[in-house]
Amino acid sequence: MIAIENLTVSFGGVTALNAVTVTLDQPVCGIIGPNGAGKTTFLNVISGFVVPQTGSIRANDTNLLSMKPHERARWGLRRSFQKEQVVNELTVEDNIRVVLDPLNLSGRERRDVLDTALDFVGLRGMRHALAEGLNAFERRMTEIARCIAGRPRVILLDEPGAGFSQGEVEKLRQIISDIHGFNGAMVLLIDHDVDLIQAVCQETIVLDFGSLIAVGETASVLTDPRVRAVYLGMEDA
Amino acid sequence: MQAATKHLSGAVEPDAVSSTGFVLGRYVPQLFFTCAAILLPFLVNALWLKVLTAVAIYALTAASIALLYRRLGLVSLAQVALMGCGGWVALRFAHAFGLPFEVNLMAGGIFAGLIGMILAYPALRMRGLYLALITLMAAGGFGILINVIQFPNGGGGLTGFEVRAITYMPRPVIAISDAAYFSYCMVVIAFGFLLIDVHERGRAGRGWALIRKSEASAMAAGVNVTLYKVWGFALSGFLAGVAGALLAGNLQLLDARSFPPAESVMIFALTVVGGAWHWYGAVIAALLYRLVPAFLNDLGLDGNAAYIIFGLALIHALITAPKGLAGQLSDGLKRLARRGPNA
Ligand SMILES: Nc1ncnc2c1ncn2[C@@H]1O[C@H](COP(=O)(O)OP(=O)(O)O)[C@@H](O)[C@H]1O
Ligand SMILES: [Mg+2]
Repeated sequence: MIAIENLTVSFGGVTALNAVTVTLDQPVCGIIGPNGAGKTTFLNVISGFVVPQTGSIRANDTNLLSMKPHERARWGLRRSFQKEQVVNELTVEDNIRVVLDPLNLSGRERRDVLDTALDFVGLRGMRHALAEGLNAFERRMTEIARCIAGRPRVILLDEPGAGFSQGEVEKLRQIISDIHGFNGAMVLLIDHDVDLIQAVCQETIVLDFGSLIAVGETASVLTDPRVRAVYLGMEDA
Repeated sequence: MQAATKHLSGAVEPDAVSSTGFVLGRYVPQLFFTCAAILLPFLVNALWLKVLTAVAIYALTAASIALLYRRLGLVSLAQVALMGCGGWVALRFAHAFGLPFEVNLMAGGIFAGLIGMILAYPALRMRGLYLALITLMAAGGFGILINVIQFPNGGGGLTGFEVRAITYMPRPVIAISDAAYFSYCMVVIAFGFLLIDVHERGRAGRGWALIRKSEASAMAAGVNVTLYKVWGFALSGFLAGVAGALLAGNLQLLDARSFPPAESVMIFALTVVGGAWHWYGAVIAALLYRLVPAFLNDLGLDGNAAYIIFGLALIHALITAPKGLAGQLSDGLKRLARRGPNA
């Protein structure tokens, strides 16, 4: 469960998040909103890259704001970035292993965790390949494996589906839906693909100009007239 | 940036171990240095062996520079000064305690490693030109300081320097002669390269790789960026310090005038020319740095003419060989190997 209270972030004159208060407790929660709505900023605050002016974030009753970003990662917070961050000169396996390094796992546990993570995203066959040779989808999968390996508690995915074909998004959908069953982690998912959000998120929040304009069960949020107005407004622009 | 990260692949090619199963591939540098340690004393005369000892020592310095450059994208222009720090402490220990050479060597390395950690501090906030300037200033500071306190030469007091006292630093018992000392240096350097390799393939290497990709991605993966940068500088400083201690053992004394900051700049430039992405880039850098001037002297030319050659090599590298001469060499060899079976 993530409980966010009165979260405000501004960059100079731009208010990227405006007194957002929300409690999320479903396995997969969607975050939608037009470009510049503050979605990435929302994830950045949770993962510690942006310090909010006001507000608090509690995840499973832990105060996240008091921890540095790498401490949050060790606590079990994982994230992927809008622009994927796979390292070319490392192997697929080493790209994933890096998140296991700081955890106190035995050699055996580490191997098991790595194997299951590779299986989960279907990259076991290319574990020794240099990431340099991967295609965009395999790179995204490597990054997702990095997010789900170990014992994560909260996983933040920033537009993981952007730029993929229908078939690839379908695989991605399956994988995201399976995460909670796989390791019990809660997933926050930003995406512009409303079909993907609808398919995997039990709960969805909508941001617009930094303000929370809707939150609730995904189906009802997506039919909310205010949300439709925001999306129609976006299409006009 | 994309292009730069691509070049990294040459340094840590895991397929040498995994796909071809050629485990020895990993230890090529160690094999190379061991062979050199055994064969070269028989092949070259005393004069050239002294030059090659210096080459070996500066290869370790170049490797320490290449490590920071390749792994963290950081430019350190203080490595020769760090050698001086290591050399100073090794000399001081040798004269003060009369302990085995290896202890002095480690003391020099550890001290330079600690100084390296201090240099890591500015590196936490800046990179590129600004960091280069800070390290250069540190090297300049060392240059001034060492001209005042001088290197220990068996004198009394804290600095261990007296104008008249000339006590030579004892070499390791097993490596008294020049030939034996050359082989000794080669073995130490083989271990130095192994230390780098172990770090690059392990946890540190993975952390550094992510930091180089982006600090945000490293933090998001739980990498303590501060710690890993300090670690990189400590390792680099340690290696430079060991090189400095070896240099002290080679000459058995050190001269403050041989550690001006400009030397750090020179060896950095040559490391880029040699190629920071391959282990033998450091060897090429050291050969250029020490062997070329010796050759010119041997031909009766002014050793300073080497600077012209260095300049040309740098221009050559900047224009045609972003991975340095080592990169060109390895690309050439790969092309040959690919053509081989068909021919
Ligand atoms: N580091 C930053 N510095 C200044 N402005 C920022 C920064 N990050 C985001 N912003 C601004 O905050 C607003 C929200 O951005 P963002 O969270 O990236 O939106 P989204 O991910 O929903 O498209 C935008 O107006 C953006 O320009
Ligand atoms: Mg965004």
